Amino acid sequence: MKRPAGGVPMSGWRNRSGAPTVRDMTPSPLRSTLLHRRVLPALALAALAACGGAADSGGPRFAYVTNGVDPFWNVAGAGARAAATEFGVDVDLVFPEGGAVDQKQKLEDLLIRGVDGIAVAVIDGKNMVSFMDDIAGKTHLITHDSDAPDSKRRCFVGVDNYACGRACGELLREALPDGGKVALFVGRLEQENAQLRRQGVIDALLDRSFDSTRRDAADATPSGNGFTIVATRTDGFDKSLAKSNAEDILVAHPDLAGMVGLFAYNAPACLEALRSQDKLGKVEISAFDEQVATLDAIAKGTVLGTVSQNPFQYGYHSVRILNGLHAGDESVLPEGGTLTVDPTVVTRENLEEFRAKLEKDIAAGS
Amino acid sequence: MAAERAGTGARGTLRLRVEGLTRRFPGVLALDGVGLEGRPGEVLGVVGENGAGKSTLMKILAGIDAPDGGAMELDGASWAPRTPREAADGGVALIHQELCLAENLSVAANIALGREPTRMGFVDRDAAREMAREALGTVRAAIDPDAIVEGLSAGERQLVEIAKGLAGGAKVVIFDEPTSSLTAGESEALFDVVRELRDQGVLVLYVSHRLHEITDLCDRAAVLRDGRNAAALEGSELNRSALVQAMVGRAESELVSPTAAVPRASTAPRLSARGLRTADWPAASLDIDVAPGEIVGIAGLVGAGRTELLETIFGLRAAVAGDLSLDGAPFIPDGPRAAIASGVALVPEDRKLHGLLLEESIRWNVALATLTARRRGPFVDTAAERSVVEERSSALGVRASSIEQPTGTLSGGNQQKVVIGRWLEARPRLLLLDEPTRGVDVGAREEIYRILEELCAEGLSVLFASSDLEELLRLGQRILVMHEGELTGNVARADADERLLMTLATGGDALAPTTSLEANP
Amino acid sequence: MNVRGKVLGIFGLLVAVVLFTGFMNPRFFSADNLENVVQRTSLYGILGIGAAFSIVTGGIDLSIGSVVGLSATILPMLITAGVPAPAAVLGVLLIGALLGAIHGLLITRVGLQPFVVTLCGLLVYRGIARRISGDQTLGIDDEALRSLATGSPFSIGSFDVPAPVFLLLIVGVLAALFLGRSVWGRWLLALGRNPEAAHYAGVPVDRMIVVAYVLSSLLAALGGVLFALDIGSIQPAAMGNFYELYAIAAAVLGGCSLRGGEGSILGVVLGAAVMRLLYNSIVLLGIPSQLEFAIVGGVLLLGAIADETVRKIAGKRRAAERARARSQDTTS
Repeated sequence: MKRPAGGVPMSGWRNRSGAPTVRDMTPSPLRSTLLHRRVLPALALAALAACGGAADSGGPRFAYVTNGVDPFWNVAGAGARAAATEFGVDVDLVFPEGGAVDQKQKLEDLLIRGVDGIAVAVIDGKNMVSFMDDIAGKTHLITHDSDAPDSKRRCFVGVDNYACGRACGELLREALPDGGKVALFVGRLEQENAQLRRQGVIDALLDRSFDSTRRDAADATPSGNGFTIVATRTDGFDKSLAKSNAEDILVAHPDLAGMVGLFAYNAPACLEALRSQDKLGKVEISAFDEQVATLDAIAKGTVLGTVSQNPFQYGYHSVRILNGLHAGDESVLPEGGTLTVDPTVVTRENLEEFRAKLEKDIAAGS
Repeated sequence: MAAERAGTGARGTLRLRVEGLTRRFPGVLALDGVGLEGRPGEVLGVVGENGAGKSTLMKILAGIDAPDGGAMELDGASWAPRTPREAADGGVALIHQELCLAENLSVAANIALGREPTRMGFVDRDAAREMAREALGTVRAAIDPDAIVEGLSAGERQLVEIAKGLAGGAKVVIFDEPTSSLTAGESEALFDVVRELRDQGVLVLYVSHRLHEITDLCDRAAVLRDGRNAAALEGSELNRSALVQAMVGRAESELVSPTAAVPRASTAPRLSARGLRTADWPAASLDIDVAPGEIVGIAGLVGAGRTELLETIFGLRAAVAGDLSLDGAPFIPDGPRAAIASGVALVPEDRKLHGLLLEESIRWNVALATLTARRRGPFVDTAAERSVVEERSSALGVRASSIEQPTGTLSGGNQQKVVIGRWLEARPRLLLLDEPTRGVDVGAREEIYRILEELCAEGLSVLFASSDLEELLRLGQRILVMHEGELTGNVARADADERLLMTLATGGDALAPTTSLEANP
Repeated sequence: MNVRGKVLGIFGLLVAVVLFTGFMNPRFFSADNLENVVQRTSLYGILGIGAAFSIVTGGIDLSIGSVVGLSATILPMLITAGVPAPAAVLGVLLIGALLGAIHGLLITRVGLQPFVVTLCGLLVYRGIARRISGDQTLGIDDEALRSLATGSPFSIGSFDVPAPVFLLLIVGVLAALFLGRSVWGRWLLALGRNPEAAHYAGVPVDRMIVVAYVLSSLLAALGGVLFALDIGSIQPAAMGNFYELYAIAAAVLGGCSLRGGEGSILGVVLGAAVMRLLYNSIVLLGIPSQLEFAIVGGVLLLGAIADETVRKIAGKRRAAERARARSQDTTS
């Protein structure tokens, strides 16, 4: 196979929102040791292939490739499986844990194995363009969650992170009519999705116009409309650091009115910090994504609400589109090459309904 | 020696009886029908060259190994311990040759190791301390049960080891080379313990290479050779020459070829040290001369500074002050490499730790110090290496299947020859040896002495340190004596005897020898 | 002898995995797939050879993954700054060698344990890479340079020989000559067996330890360059994470003893190949990716058990040999 050539610079890459790098199962470390036997490993592989291999229905087979391991992707995977059941096709869920190198190797191996279409959350949409083009030349390729807009992928399935950010900011603005000090928490600010969400939150709080190209500097403390953004703290996906960040901010700003968790685990970390300082309920929190701790807190009223990206829809629509393309039906492609999945703003009012749907979705995909 | 003494009332009954014991290892018969009898209240020496089967026999008695055939009886009952634990519980304790104590634990913890008294599932420290105190009492050792082993001297550790063996209430105590790491004073204390045990009615099996210990301490001695009983000596038969003859199968006079102690007359000394102060004994200023072709021994107790002196000359330790010269030219050893380049070599005291790569072949080990001398470009010249090592190995009489045999599988004597071969390959002017024949059996010892003497006849100078007085008097043409870092004596062989050397080594006045040293007549 | 046995063993394992995977999915033998596996083996193999040098001294180099990350980060930054590609590559390799020299000096001069020194390296270099890049994803689009990792200078039938194979071949042959034939290699193995005895025999132990760590980090930097060129997209926070463990596993799998003094370069390359084959076959056989670690870990464990069993048998044989030697000694 020809190795991909250099990337064409352009467009930001988008990574899954709160993708904390859970070191779970998937490629990577293995500890030491020496080898000798030839039969045993083969037997082990055979046993695993027998028990764990993907079911084969004889129909077309698609691969749904993520950019890491995260609870978020389990929901998305459930969507992909649900679509597979609905359309009578097979789908392999592939979670590359080891970054861009691992994702590339997994995609190469999938091509060898032979699949009828691939949906991938591209880790670096800017520099992996030629590799994506290479795949697009061999099978149906679409992107989801994070795009490679300059590649020959057929379409992109994802959310508008700026709009999501604004929705999240609105929650806080309604709860704090008199404004106040607000702190933002995020894993990494270098990712475009994080930047867009942050900007959406800030713009909504400060009542600015809708402009997704605006950028406040990472260490800026913009204020207006009664609100002051006192800080944006990053934690590099380290959850315990996320909590201590929140604690430090609470100490530095005893009069803090609101906290925003931009990645899935940030709002639960803020909750823990508030709990440890006995301030639960005294500071308003708005959140992203549907972690169980976040939803529980919404039920108790300690979190205002959360913006769900509807990952189930990512998986569902990805497989639906791939199946259409495989059948030669170009009409499944969204206009403009982007299928924007609508976020759901979850508050106490619609919490039960959202949970019921989430459970139903996951059940449908299992 | 076989005088009446207390605790020998049951003298007629056998404590231990071994008959027709065989043990076969692949390719070798380690024990071939060996027999042994011992009574309560006697010290039975067990001697033989390396490989004669002594260790195998002791291991079988102590439950570490099992025999292939034969019978053993303890106090009339069949004795077949399957583990060392079982043996200890049955009353047979083996005091190890190499001390195996946990250095980081207390004396009490070591003595109680493996049979810790417990209270509600936890170690009962008070009971353990009491157990230790009692065991230490039987060997008359004034050691604090709470002391950490790390801080004890070799002699104290030996006593702890013995106490550990006795803590189970032993009927038979086996000592395997107990004095190999002890000073003369510590050895004396140990002999007292052995006699004490004997008087308490214990049967002591005493394994040693040091023949004077056997003749002094033992009531009887069993000599093993090639896995068979070679002799049983008792009373007046139990003397040095009879032992040697039984061990080797030849008379001692055939072995020893004393050379004339004639240092060559020469103007420039091979090695000259003036005002040398080692880092370990900075207060002591040493002046030493070694003539070309001369063999000079250094006597002294353990810790007298002999090893430190040799290692300082070899550049392993930095000197604090002083001038060294070789054949009149100044010599600054700032590391082994510099020393080797100047023609100085050291055969270290601890062969396994500092001398050999035990997993590697004779070829690798002999070649190690001279790789650069034979290299072809950046590469090892394996062909040259092979022929050089073959030659050296056969000249030294190394017994091995081939030069590719790992040195860890060689006997002590052959291992020592390999280390000496490495250094002879470097063609030194001055060869330093630290304990040149420790753990080497009698036959190989003589061979090593002869090799050194031949080389010295060709002009090599040898400076060696030894704790073995017999060796010093046999090999050294002149003997320096050290005590606490200072040179306390410089004696020509003709003028030296063991008593004089020991007196000087203990810091005593040469004219008034201390009586406690008369153990080695 | 012992090492040769291990190399044979690992080769047997490699054949077993190849045959099994190929039997289950014949596409395994397609030229494209073999190219992929060979190319990956080359990259990870170079890291493994580096790891072997530190392991042979009885030490360990935990900083390999972070050195990969740091060099993969510095390379595109230098190129973006206008440094000519060859000079940039050379610069990165020099930085790698320098880091290795620092490790070696900290171990020999300051007397720190290799584990501690290189663990600190693992943390420090990752931090530096993230700081100087501001955690931004970096790209390399110098096609000529990238062909070093992704290109194919010629084909054998439909098999396009991946370029990194030649680098692995050069590195491997040089390393094997160094370790197996040169005086320095002999010194390294000797000091790995018994540093004290080597020192007493006049081996420049400290200098050789520094050399070993320089080689380890130099090859890690070379690996970093190749990984960067291969993927063309570098996330400084993630690039090379855990690669030290892949490298150490390949080295140990290939017959290097963590006790030091034993190692085979061919074995290390085979070890790296087995690891890559396992990952490849997991995808080709459709085994859920969650099981990846479990499978690779399980195979390594079985191998370790097999190896230990073989070692015990060999140990018994050696004990017998020793007993025989002793008996010859006394009888002659």
